[in-house]
Amino acid sequence: MEYALLQAIFLPLLLSPVVYIIGRKAGPTPAMWVTFAILLYATILIVNAALSGTVEEHYPWTTQFGEFGFLLDGLASPFAIMIYVLSTILVLYSKPYMLHIFHHQFEEERNINTSGSGQTSIVESSALSNYVNAKSGLYFALYLLFAVGMLGTVLATNLIEFFVFFEIMLIPGFFLVALWGAGNRRKIGLMFLFWTHSGAVVLLLGFLMIGLTVGSFDFADINESEIPQDIAMLSAVAIALGLGVKLAVFMFHIWLPYVHGAAPTPISALLSPAMIGIGVYGIFRLIVEFLPATFADLSIWFYIWGLVTMIYGGAMALMQDDLKRLLAYSSISQMGYLLFGIGTISVLGLTGAEMMYVTHAIGKGILFMMAGVIIVKVGTRSISKLGGLAGKMPITAVCAVIGALTIMGIPPTAGFMGEWILFAGALETALEEGSTLRAVGFGLGLVATVLTMSYLLWMLKRVFFGKTPEHLENVKEGSWYMVAPMMVLAGFSIVLGIYPDIFYKSIIPYMSGVLGV
Amino acid sequence: MATELLGFEIGATSAWLVWILPFAAALIIPGIAKLSKYGTGHLSKHATGYIAVGFALMSTLSAASLIPIALEAGEIHHQIPWIESLNLNAGVLADPLSIIMSNVVGWISFLILIYSTGYMKGDKDITRFWFWMMFFIGSMQLIVMSDNLLQVFFGWEGVGLASYALISFWYRDKKKDHVGTEGRTVLGMLDYYSPTHAGMKAFIMTKVGDVMMIAGMLLIFVYAGTFGFKELLGDTEWAVTMASQGLLVPAFVLIFGGAVGKSAQFPLNEWLLEAMTGPTAVSALIHAATMVKAGVFLVARIGPLVFALGAAGILADQFFEIIAWVGAITALLLATQAMVNPEIKKVLAYSTGSQIGYMMMALGVAGLSYQYVDGYTAGFFHLISHAMFKASLFMAAGAILHTVGSRFMTDMGGLRKKMKKTYAFMWAAGLGLMGAPFITTGFWSKDAIFAAVYESGNEWAMPLFAIAVFTAAITSFYTVRMMGLVFFGKQSKHIEKMEEEGHHIHEAPLSMWIPYGILAVLTIGVGLVGLSFEDGLHHTFVDYLENSYGIHTEHLAIESSILPEFLQGLNPVALGSSLAAFAIGAGLGYIFYIGRWVDPVKFVNSNLFFYGIHKLLLNRWYLNAIIYWCFVVTPLWLSRGVFRYFEKTAIDYGMNDGFQKAVGWSAKVVQGTQTGVSQSYLFVFGAGLLFVVLILLI
Repeated sequence: MEYALLQAIFLPLLLSPVVYIIGRKAGPTPAMWVTFAILLYATILIVNAALSGTVEEHYPWTTQFGEFGFLLDGLASPFAIMIYVLSTILVLYSKPYMLHIFHHQFEEERNINTSGSGQTSIVESSALSNYVNAKSGLYFALYLLFAVGMLGTVLATNLIEFFVFFEIMLIPGFFLVALWGAGNRRKIGLMFLFWTHSGAVVLLLGFLMIGLTVGSFDFADINESEIPQDIAMLSAVAIALGLGVKLAVFMFHIWLPYVHGAAPTPISALLSPAMIGIGVYGIFRLIVEFLPATFADLSIWFYIWGLVTMIYGGAMALMQDDLKRLLAYSSISQMGYLLFGIGTISVLGLTGAEMMYVTHAIGKGILFMMAGVIIVKVGTRSISKLGGLAGKMPITAVCAVIGALTIMGIPPTAGFMGEWILFAGALETALEEGSTLRAVGFGLGLVATVLTMSYLLWMLKRVFFGKTPEHLENVKEGSWYMVAPMMVLAGFSIVLGIYPDIFYKSIIPYMSGVLGV
Repeated sequence: MATELLGFEIGATSAWLVWILPFAAALIIPGIAKLSKYGTGHLSKHATGYIAVGFALMSTLSAASLIPIALEAGEIHHQIPWIESLNLNAGVLADPLSIIMSNVVGWISFLILIYSTGYMKGDKDITRFWFWMMFFIGSMQLIVMSDNLLQVFFGWEGVGLASYALISFWYRDKKKDHVGTEGRTVLGMLDYYSPTHAGMKAFIMTKVGDVMMIAGMLLIFVYAGTFGFKELLGDTEWAVTMASQGLLVPAFVLIFGGAVGKSAQFPLNEWLLEAMTGPTAVSALIHAATMVKAGVFLVARIGPLVFALGAAGILADQFFEIIAWVGAITALLLATQAMVNPEIKKVLAYSTGSQIGYMMMALGVAGLSYQYVDGYTAGFFHLISHAMFKASLFMAAGAILHTVGSRFMTDMGGLRKKMKKTYAFMWAAGLGLMGAPFITTGFWSKDAIFAAVYESGNEWAMPLFAIAVFTAAITSFYTVRMMGLVFFGKQSKHIEKMEEEGHHIHEAPLSMWIPYGILAVLTIGVGLVGLSFEDGLHHTFVDYLENSYGIHTEHLAIESSILPEFLQGLNPVALGSSLAAFAIGAGLGYIFYIGRWVDPVKFVNSNLFFYGIHKLLLNRWYLNAIIYWCFVVTPLWLSRGVFRYFEKTAIDYGMNDGFQKAVGWSAKVVQGTQTGVSQSYLFVFGAGLLFVVLILLI
């Protein structure tokens, strides 16, 4: 199909103001369905394109920067599919959750503005519905922009284009957190903006170094040209540091627990698995593919950095009482696995890293949605106040267990299919190089899986099992809008866990090609 | 006589169905439960139970239909493509080992499911129960039937997952579902566990083993490029390379690590005790058919492979030495603790770990001896006989718990007149566990192990043999102790109180006692023909090892010995030791707990030595507490320290607040320069100008 990728990107972008108007005029439900339809159509386009193999589209752009193109190849398609699948199903989830937030904020604002003045209930309810309509229009419009930013980054074929989309996903992200986050949301939104933007600036430095050396920003040109070793090293380090902030690896991670904890839950469920993993996509495309010699030198550092991140994130997750912060630290730890996989510099390890992106998107998506259901239905996110919810919300509990198993990497969930191949790659390289450091890293990585398992099982125990506190006696299961998306992901996790070739088929040939095996 | 099958034939289909059917049942059970809500009759009320039992029976019949293949030492190997991008296939391998194992698993599980229909009657979470039971059985059969390690690992983790779900089945953590004594601590660690804690403990502890196993699997995969058992045996180039780099033994020992976790062997044994929080039907399943037997099966699966490699000159003796010693240590360690524990299910749990230790010892010794098949048969024979008597014992114990409503043996006592059938069956099965001479399967299988160890001619043979015999005496003792405490003596206060309150202590219902009755009778029945049963098994395995692995067994002429006619062929030393161990253990048990000539409490408190031993055993050799200190308390303490003093200060405060403050401070500095006084601006301008001029001049 012609213009498939162009449509998948620009249709949501152009229709986002329309969604705003629909929301404003007609209310949250039509806005939700229109957003859903747009994203569903775009997802079908992407999946369809991915099924037919590598797809490339090129469009003229400025002479300065080069072409404006899209590339959906073995590397990009799993990322693209997961981003849009998650974005699509989370639209449904957004409605009940965001209504909950809007009502809450309306109450707050009314208490501030109108304390003392008497208003009739009719005026009040029309004020509320106006408020909700306006907010939901804005929410879904920003949501579309956010999704477009993520997808555009993954499909870009030009450094500047990559950077533009990279920033596009940041801005709606900032507004979504700053407007409807929890706690000190404006400060946290700024923190998000500051951290990721500083990362982006470093990234841009790396891009400029490459672009000015090669004389073109197009991926195709960069791939063919020889970049001097010192410049390649400098720019690779800049890119790695820039993307490291996005990935929230150890030392650059502090923004993540704040932001993922505070963001509205559907956005957390997009931020955490889909967005931060784009850092890994960037490393694959920009360093592994374009600067292979430099990558070979840097790989051991990725390996160690990843290992430290996975253990550190896991240990910190053990200490959390806030459900969403726990999941945020878990994401840090999981990003460590991804980086670890890249550091293995073997086909299996790199495949594992990308597969882990997919499985983490599924698993963490489910877990964040679980947290959202609890926030809406129970009203607290403090683990110590929860307990025994499995009997009250059985579907959520089952989905949460499947999500947790996916993160732990227990078959038959998809997580195992990312994990074993990742560690097989790590071991392969360790043996090939005869490197004790890598062998020890492999062992510690396996120990980290036990750590992952511990904090997740402990969380499940404290949230869903054990005695039910008295104040939770009347808790009900979440609405179908919230539960069905979780069930879809849980089902997908099991299908992928039994038949991983869905993604292996596209990833493995690409990785073999890149590493020249 | 290996037959490679290309298409789906009857045999191949049955081999697939053995593990697919239980999973299929698990999948449809939730749907059936939803549908049956609309019905009102008896059928719809118990629909999920019928589905479970029915599918389990079909799966078991599929396994039974394969028995002829096992008897002629043939095999069915059927593969379908799975992960094509890595050239990995899924497949079933039905050879004598897996066929016999799948029948043991299938029939025992089937009986346990029938028992469960009675035991779990009226539980409101019954759907979840059936789902996980079927998932459990399916996973176990998957392990048994798989033809490659990766697929085995699916079943392996499935078993772990099902055990997690079933051990914490009563997830509401009511007081009655806990195990241990409330308030009791060992080295500051509570010895009292809730079901959810126990499930988590089991899952994480076995995962430690699984992590080792996957490391071993991946090691082999990296060299061989395959996980398939047949492929690994076909071309042994990988083994030569690995052996030359000294990685062959570590790889197999790591895989054995998986078995150590799953089979609750030392040092990963501590989860098994807390696993008693699950419903008793689950305990029976874990201990007799699924889960702990998986480890033994895995060793039986890879053992011949390693031995065959050894025969080809790639020595891996340490592998077998480690297995034998781990088995021996576990057998002794857990048997000693069974002597003092007050909870009936825990005694049985300890006993399981200990008996699995015997099996491991036999499988390990096999690889160290001249005739591999002797130890191999002994270990597997013990697996079969243990499956029968332990399933029976657990189910009987469950019936008692059900009636008495307490897990402590001190709350029982004098039940032999109230529960006559259970009493009789428990004696039969208990005698099997003790290895009562000549009439029980336990005797023959244990004797086979003794003989295998004694005759192995290995440097470790004598110490291993001594441990085995000593453990056998302990086994007899604690079995008699259990019987004595439960069925003999006076009724406990607990029971008197119950009867005063109008509860009637009664025999278990039909659906419950039939299954354990059958198994108890089988323990004796097979025991009566035990020697010929063992011979049959031995023959099958001789052919199997010859055909599949090329392990040749010499037919030795049986030397005539001093033993009477019907015992010819047995080792007199092994036989004598076995009889002596039985007599000593049972005799001591009788003195303390049935005859009650000596009060055990007074005896223990009579001198410091016995008191110390008793305390050591009751505190589980302090192993559990040490594990908690090292792997739970310390990591949590470290994490807390890092969180408090690094994450919250250096990273959070330093980076976030620090940056914020720095920006604020620099803003103030800049602000301070904007004084609005023209003189100072002029002054700075002048100074700057002077500075630039000076630099230019120099």
